[in-house]
Amino acid sequence: MSPPTADWIQLQDRFYRKQEIYTMLWKQVDLSKYMIAAAPFGGPLALVRDDRKVLLLQKQQPVKPSIYLYTSSGKLMEPIQWDKGRIIGMGWSEAEQLLCMLEDGTVRMYNILGEYTQFSLGKEAKENKVIDVQIWGTGLVALTGSFQLIAVTNFDEPRPLFLANTGINEPPHSWTVIPPKFTLSRHVEVLLAINSTILVVDATEARDERLLEGPFRKMSVSPDGKYLALFTNDGRLWVVSTDFQKNLSEFETKSQVAPQQLVWCGTDSVILYWDKIVLMVGPFGDWIKYPYDEAIFMIPEVDGVRIISSEKCEFLQKVPAVTEDIFKIGSTAPGAMLYDALDHFEKKSPKADENIRSIRLELADAVEACIEAAGHEINHQYQRSLLKAASFGKCFLEIHNADSFVDMCKTLRVLNAVRFYEIGIPLTYTQYQRLTPEALIDRLISRHQYLLAIRICEYLKMRTDRILIHWACSKIKISNDDEDTLCRMVVEKLANKPGLSYSEIAMTALKAGHSTLATKLLDYEPRAGDQVPLLMSMGQDELALVKAIESGDTDLVYHVILYLKRKHQLGEFFRIINNKPLACHLLESYCKQQDPELLKDFYYQDDRRVDSANLSLIESFQQKDLTERTKKLKNSLRLYQEDKEHLFETKAIEESLKLLQIQAQLEKDFNQPFTGLSLSSTVYKLITINQGSRATKVRNDFQMPDKRFWWIKLRALVEIRDWDGVATLAKSKKSPIGYEPFVEECVKAMQYREAAKYILKCDAHLRAGLFLKIEAYQEAGEQAFLQKDLETLKEIRDKCPNALLQGQIDGYITQLASSR
Amino acid sequence: MSTSTAAAVAAASTPAQPTGAHLGHTSLNIDSLRDLARKELVNVLDSDHGVEKIYHLQPGPLETDCKNLIYICRPQANYMKYIAEHIHTHTKDPHAGPYTYSLFFVPRRTALCEKVLEDEGVFGEITKGEYHLDLIPMEDDVLSLEWDSTFKELYLDQDTTSIYYAAKALMRLQGIYGLFPRILGKGDYSKALCDMMLRMRREMAVDDLDASQTLQLSQNIDSLIIIDRSVDMVTPLCTQLTYEGLIDEIFHIKNSFVEVDASLANPASTNTGAGGSAAAASTAAPGKKKKVPLNGGDKLFGELRDLNFAVVGGLLNKVAKRINADYEERHNAKTVPQIRQFIVKMGGLAAEHQSLRLHTALAEEIMNYTMTDDFNRILEVQQNVVAGIATNKEPEYIEEMINKQVPIVQVLRLLCLYSLVNNGLKPKQFEFFKKEILEAYGFEHIQTLDNLRRLGMLTKQVTTKNTYSLVRRSLSLIVDEVNEHAPNDISYVYSGYAPLSVRLVQCVVQRGKDGARPGPGAGSGGKGSGVAGGNGWKGFEDVLRMLPGRTFDETQRVDDGQPRSSKRANGQPKISLVFFLGGCTFTEISATRFLASQEGGQRDFVICTTQILNGNTLVDSIVQKVPDLHASG
Repeated sequence: MSPPTADWIQLQDRFYRKQEIYTMLWKQVDLSKYMIAAAPFGGPLALVRDDRKVLLLQKQQPVKPSIYLYTSSGKLMEPIQWDKGRIIGMGWSEAEQLLCMLEDGTVRMYNILGEYTQFSLGKEAKENKVIDVQIWGTGLVALTGSFQLIAVTNFDEPRPLFLANTGINEPPHSWTVIPPKFTLSRHVEVLLAINSTILVVDATEARDERLLEGPFRKMSVSPDGKYLALFTNDGRLWVVSTDFQKNLSEFETKSQVAPQQLVWCGTDSVILYWDKIVLMVGPFGDWIKYPYDEAIFMIPEVDGVRIISSEKCEFLQKVPAVTEDIFKIGSTAPGAMLYDALDHFEKKSPKADENIRSIRLELADAVEACIEAAGHEINHQYQRSLLKAASFGKCFLEIHNADSFVDMCKTLRVLNAVRFYEIGIPLTYTQYQRLTPEALIDRLISRHQYLLAIRICEYLKMRTDRILIHWACSKIKISNDDEDTLCRMVVEKLANKPGLSYSEIAMTALKAGHSTLATKLLDYEPRAGDQVPLLMSMGQDELALVKAIESGDTDLVYHVILYLKRKHQLGEFFRIINNKPLACHLLESYCKQQDPELLKDFYYQDDRRVDSANLSLIESFQQKDLTERTKKLKNSLRLYQEDKEHLFETKAIEESLKLLQIQAQLEKDFNQPFTGLSLSSTVYKLITINQGSRATKVRNDFQMPDKRFWWIKLRALVEIRDWDGVATLAKSKKSPIGYEPFVEECVKAMQYREAAKYILKCDAHLRAGLFLKIEAYQEAGEQAFLQKDLETLKEIRDKCPNALLQGQIDGYITQLASSR
Repeated sequence: MSTSTAAAVAAASTPAQPTGAHLGHTSLNIDSLRDLARKELVNVLDSDHGVEKIYHLQPGPLETDCKNLIYICRPQANYMKYIAEHIHTHTKDPHAGPYTYSLFFVPRRTALCEKVLEDEGVFGEITKGEYHLDLIPMEDDVLSLEWDSTFKELYLDQDTTSIYYAAKALMRLQGIYGLFPRILGKGDYSKALCDMMLRMRREMAVDDLDASQTLQLSQNIDSLIIIDRSVDMVTPLCTQLTYEGLIDEIFHIKNSFVEVDASLANPASTNTGAGGSAAAASTAAPGKKKKVPLNGGDKLFGELRDLNFAVVGGLLNKVAKRINADYEERHNAKTVPQIRQFIVKMGGLAAEHQSLRLHTALAEEIMNYTMTDDFNRILEVQQNVVAGIATNKEPEYIEEMINKQVPIVQVLRLLCLYSLVNNGLKPKQFEFFKKEILEAYGFEHIQTLDNLRRLGMLTKQVTTKNTYSLVRRSLSLIVDEVNEHAPNDISYVYSGYAPLSVRLVQCVVQRGKDGARPGPGAGSGGKGSGVAGGNGWKGFEDVLRMLPGRTFDETQRVDDGQPRSSKRANGQPKISLVFFLGGCTFTEISATRFLASQEGGQRDFVICTTQILNGNTLVDSIVQKVPDLHASG
């Protein structure tokens, strides 16, 4: 076992290490001839012949090019026959989909198995052709022949967005993008090297940074989006912050030729690659040179760089701090002491005890350091010895929570399993933490590594549902067995998973043309709501509606209703809906807002006459035109007449028609609006415009009760301050509403003198109170005295402002009190 | 880079920031609920980093300099149309834009709205998302869905959407606070809500087995009591007589804000104590309205809100005297430390003073209103009706109201109350009132009357058997002796009438070992009886049978085989969640709080509701509206 520091190289004050992970399984691949795109997080490589590079025609070379998908260990996963136009660029999405940008503006998204979907960037891209593209995990920016930038920032719902006009008329020297998650505006920003400067372009504007150091031949944004590495025309490497405010470092490469690749290694060094030379430049101008004798390809990762050559896959990274502490020669860090102690212990040397004693107080830290360092190791032996050291150190701790130890053991088992060359995902511990176990499982699923995925899930106590569902779906897709066998096979495998959702599997079966299988599988679906979409696409419309109602989710019910409405003839639609009350109620509610005509049909076919009649009635009130109004009313009347139960309504609508007629006449006669007023308001209005006799006539036409008529008349007369009219009314005959209303209304109009006229006509026991209201204290007192109303007298006395009167009332009070 | 963003907001869906300070002081820590809502709102808005302007979503074109528009609204068809209108005007204008549109539905997107957007031809223009805000903490003990149209939707349209939302919201609460060990309730829709929750729990096992397994029984909440509004239609029709209730009746409290005359709530005048400036302020902007928050953050309001209005005046007077005395202390402050101490105190005093000013003004307004003959006569009629004191005066008064052409909502409110309590109107009376209403208010109300008939609120008497009077007696809804100053029963909130809905809650939570019926003074006997292990509705079966809808009592268990822990978590009081499906009034909230006060710290109540309503808003939602055709012409 070579010492762990064997592959370390010092760069200023830090160490870098380049470790070989795989010997490539592929044979004789000259990487210089290919256009390559590699997915981060140890993801796969896509290779396609680069048509800009000259290639010797070989015999076995197929005429049509293919895209080859390889794992990091060089295992061929899938060749994709290419049948479309020229590929401008390729890249990988976060979900590990390969994106191919075509010259005509089409973007194809392949999954790892070569199945694809596609979308287009639109007319502009198609007409002017795409000349270059930049792709990141969640989006892309395309540069068209007319130098327009088109962005897509979401691959699930691709929506091409034109960025601000760049105003350039030649291709940039180089360009790159800052993904939205790193920018201040949360929009993608594009950096274009034009002349000696850089243009920063987003959706709203193109801003010139006014630099003089250019032209920049190559540029690259650091993995955290904070820094930008630029390669200038005169061979300098210049690093600035992405807001161009901070100058970080400069380095003379003395090369006139721009590097083929310029990538970041983590966030603190930059790697340049020219043909067969790899040059790593640190922040303080130190450098390391790695020679190669063949073409390579570098893939930046969050914590380092993966280097692919035709022979091997390597990983170049800064040595993690914990690892450095433990393994650095001469280190006295607690972790190093502990690691050393284990070594002594195994050699049965007493120095073991000495070491442990010397770090007694930091032992817990030392244990944690060893655990973490184990995580950063790719080599199994070092993993083991570091964990052993941790385990050894634990023995000397009185209280120790072993969770981190157990977790790391588990994590390492998972990592080692996926790193295995047959699987070929060289994930580091840091990357794994960033990626999350769930995403890793998804990656395994998409590679159809079901067994490993399930083992890992079970091992990590995660749910296996997704894996099983995916398995079942792909089984159904590729299987040639008959439906019964398939169904048995699927159900047997999934049987002991309660609560597993079958709808997706059933949907796949349906799409694969196994509709009976779909029906069978759907029966196993525990959630009513989830059965609905499938039932709809299976044409089981009524059942879909029933299940939607069962789910209680009214929106789902609406979803089905609207679908049924589109699909079926009206009659059939109503037939399905009719015996389902909730569906009917929801349809009514929807129609009232959106589709009154449909509501009419619905009521008609279900013979709901009252509802039809009311609908027509309300419609009539919304008509401005009198004939329309009458027509609708008559329609309503006709519907009500058909039902003997509704004599009252029939009569009411007849009255309403009559009123409408009269109002039309009144409008003509007085040139004032009347329609829309109620009967009472009509009468009221007539009185206020001094048409008392017409009011009386209307009142007689409708046999309005005396009481109401008197009230209306009284209020109307008070409103127009026709006190004589009020008096005439009061005298006309004995009031059916008594005379208090006269008083009250006059009081409300602040006409106390008028009010006083009617008080004596009121009931004797009310008079005192009424006089009090109009502040006639003397009369109030007299009346109260007559009524022997001691309470009221006292009240009057309290309110009375006049001392003389108070005396008088006091007199009454004494008189009453004594007579008791 | 200037990427300006504007948000158009409809339906008070954002928890108002400045009003939140009063929350978070009860045994149920509702902070977690608020945090969830807040974080998600930030996510919604942060998708475009920073909001420059906020507009209210209204019909008509939207004029703004901002290019990124975020709409946040309820999934309602009319809002979709407003948004479509905005987009249409933008696209027609060649100089405008380009705009990007995002739409966040609260609480979720619906097929219906998408259909409307599709019909309007703007579906593709908008990026759609969801903001899962359901129960909004209005107070420490009040959570509301603030879904204003629930009553009409549920009982008239029979659209059960709100039940689904309620179930989702309650599931979320269970996710935060643990499973409710027991769910009791009354009413068919209550039962539907309970069933839906139980089913969702079963289905949750499908979504996330781990979550469903780890979901423990709640440590604090021992029961959920669901009361369906259809069980008690009488209560909201009565005039509320608590302070907060009256404010609602007169000014209408909307999303815990009340709009009052700006002069009533002018904070500018607090700086000086001089009366002159207040007067100047009030004359400066006559008739101008101002929105004032009403919540427990206002300490004085917290003290007043649940009291019967009769005692509010006295209390205000006391507070005024105290504040005055506090101010006078400044004369005693001689030394520098004393002065400093006073200055520190003064900040609080000024706030208190402002609050006092507001409430004195409000109380005065309310007083003016409650002194009127009309108010008192309506109240008298109401109280007679509810108490079952039958005279001819009540229908006569209603007739007089119609003749005086008072707003139809008031007439119907009283008439419905009369009908509900008397099990319908006598046939002749029924025909008479219907005719009167149609002739006085317009024939479109044929529809209104039909609506009320369907709701069972205004019906023809078919049998003289009156179940309401039986219920009234067995649950002692009418209490003659009410001491508003030191109430001993919930009936104080209506000065003698105990709201049936809250009485039902009382049935479950308060019962002495002797099985005493709830009523005045019952609280002391049944103190601390547990609900989770209690008898539920037992003993009240007869009464419950007389009320409409099913009665249920479900127990939720976790399958860990362990017995339900009966021990109280860290000596904290147990909490009953009371869910008013179809809305509740402020008075009912006050009454429920009163129940808690009777429990002597042994039990807290948290009230959940679909919305807060009162008799006017309830009836108004049922009244058929027609456009005034002369208004525009």
